Amino acid sequence: MARVSLIIPTFARPHLLPRAVESALQSARDVEVIVVDDASRDETARVCASLENIKYVRLDRNQGVAGARNAGVLESTGEFIAFLDDDDLRIAGSLDQQLALFDEMPEAGFVGGGVLLADQNCVPTRKSALVRPERGDLFWKILELSVHLIPGSVVVRKSCFQTVGLFNRRLAGIDDWDMWVRISELYPVLVDQQPVCIYRCATPGSDQGSSALARHLHAAVKHQARLLSLPRAQSASPQQRRAVRKNTKRRVADTLTWRAAEELPRGAFSFAAQNFFTSLRLSPMWALRPTHVQVLCRSLRSPREIARAG
Amino acid sequence: MPKVSVIIATRNRCALLPRAIESALRAGSDVEIVVVDDASEDQTPAVCANYVDQVRYVRLQRRLGIGGVRNVGLISSTAPYIAFLDDDDLRLPGTLDKQVELLDAAPGAGMIYGKALYGNEQCEPAGGSYPDVCPRDDLFWQLLVWNFIPSPTVVFRRACVTRLGLIEEDAPGVEDWDLWVRIAEVYPVLALDEPVAIWRQPTRTSDQFTSRGEELHRLAQRLQREKWLKLPRAIEAGAARRREIARAFARRAAQQLLWEGAANLKSKQFRQFARVALASARLHPIGAGKIILSQPFSSKPHEDRLL
Repeated sequence: MARVSLIIPTFARPHLLPRAVESALQSARDVEVIVVDDASRDETARVCASLENIKYVRLDRNQGVAGARNAGVLESTGEFIAFLDDDDLRIAGSLDQQLALFDEMPEAGFVGGGVLLADQNCVPTRKSALVRPERGDLFWKILELSVHLIPGSVVVRKSCFQTVGLFNRRLAGIDDWDMWVRISELYPVLVDQQPVCIYRCATPGSDQGSSALARHLHAAVKHQARLLSLPRAQSASPQQRRAVRKNTKRRVADTLTWRAAEELPRGAFSFAAQNFFTSLRLSPMWALRPTHVQVLCRSLRSPREIARAG
Repeated sequence: MPKVSVIIATRNRCALLPRAIESALRAGSDVEIVVVDDASEDQTPAVCANYVDQVRYVRLQRRLGIGGVRNVGLISSTAPYIAFLDDDDLRLPGTLDKQVELLDAAPGAGMIYGKALYGNEQCEPAGGSYPDVCPRDDLFWQLLVWNFIPSPTVVFRRACVTRLGLIEEDAPGVEDWDLWVRIAEVYPVLALDEPVAIWRQPTRTSDQFTSRGEELHRLAQRLQREKWLKLPRAIEAGAARRREIARAFARRAAQQLLWEGAANLKSKQFRQFARVALASARLHPIGAGKIILSQPFSSKPHEDRLL
């Protein structure tokens, strides 16, 4: 029996799925790959029938990504569980490396890894997400959104689900972060910087879940207030909880401004406006800092400069 | 591999739990018992330690509520058939075997239910059982209007949840109803026309979930509007049918709440009565008025005890 199960929730992406499955099968010598088809109405079922060495779970009623992950967990037999989104890729051998980290730190609840950022065709750009190697009690850092974790970069010990519960279906898009917070509240965790996953970066129009960046981050900030009622957070001082709120809002405002500035020269005005207003709502003073305004103005000017140069 | 997994959700009821476990052990010949402890603060871990050989004990570190607890029970169980049992209810001897035999004989059916005997606070049969008749086969439309399936009497296939999704965590108290609706939409339902469980009835002091009728009706109404009436079968049936169902639901719920209110009135709990009557009037204003005018507050029918 495989030691690790890798769960790929998929919805209506038959053209991307085979690539993800293939990368998953190469990520470990012995891995149970479970594809959970979240009631896709296209040819996903047919595509899955042609894929070998996978366990295909078909949901007949759409459950959303968190519900599909839960169904995958229900069907899994491994001691460890990894996840992969249907448009991302696992790096060959990466899962075995992460399992070795569990041997190094047997009490760890989950192990995180590095992420290579890629374009819409899943070709890695030069960039990689800033993942710092860390270990131990990362509860506060994860709660503050300062540890970069995506579903595809994390391997979880299955028994953790038996102490903290399953993914929350109500939190579409941030259900994974919610889970990492709940696990790290109770278990030490380990994050390594060695890349394990290739992340297909969302663009404003790419219709990925994460295209709605502002909405997700805003939901995360809102949900954080509820996570602060976890016993660990409750036992901390009110000052610490307030500091967490402030830091998170500023960090989110930074991210939103930076992404807006990045997309503005490509003409994504509504995306940028949404980001700007969200950051304004979260932290008005911070969003209107001179550096932020400067960055935005510069990126607004740049298309004209490019046009003039051309 | 065992044939049936009995998932017992428990929280702070270590005095009642052994009785539930014993009853589950006697209910079937090939049973796996999973006790999921919703972060109890009492002696529950010690009590479960006495059953190390017969029971898989899963302890949650953080409180999840009934839906989340049952989901953890599902991922911790292995059998192809699943039964839920609450820590204060009982299964009758041999009943799991009987129900499993019927399910084995009908591979197309998704679940089977049966009758529950009303129990007093000590969980001894107190006379009467529920439901009076057990309809079977296609129960989708009936279940959309009211829940007549007592949760401790059900055995369902694990395949139902892998196909239709896990337990709703966001509707504590009506999450079982939600599951029956979703199963009945796709599968025929079987029934064993005899008592299979004892169902401890809530009293004012027992602090059970079921003591809060109007809140459960509100939750169920929300589920019906946001989820059940959006299931493919309900969509296909057309808007007129859906409106009819929503009306029937409101009428029934208003009726039940009024009966509950009548009981409150009899026991001179005027505040409770006012609250319940208000909730009833909100659900179905005309219906509630009609009932008040037409029905003397005398007998309390069986149906209103389920919620």
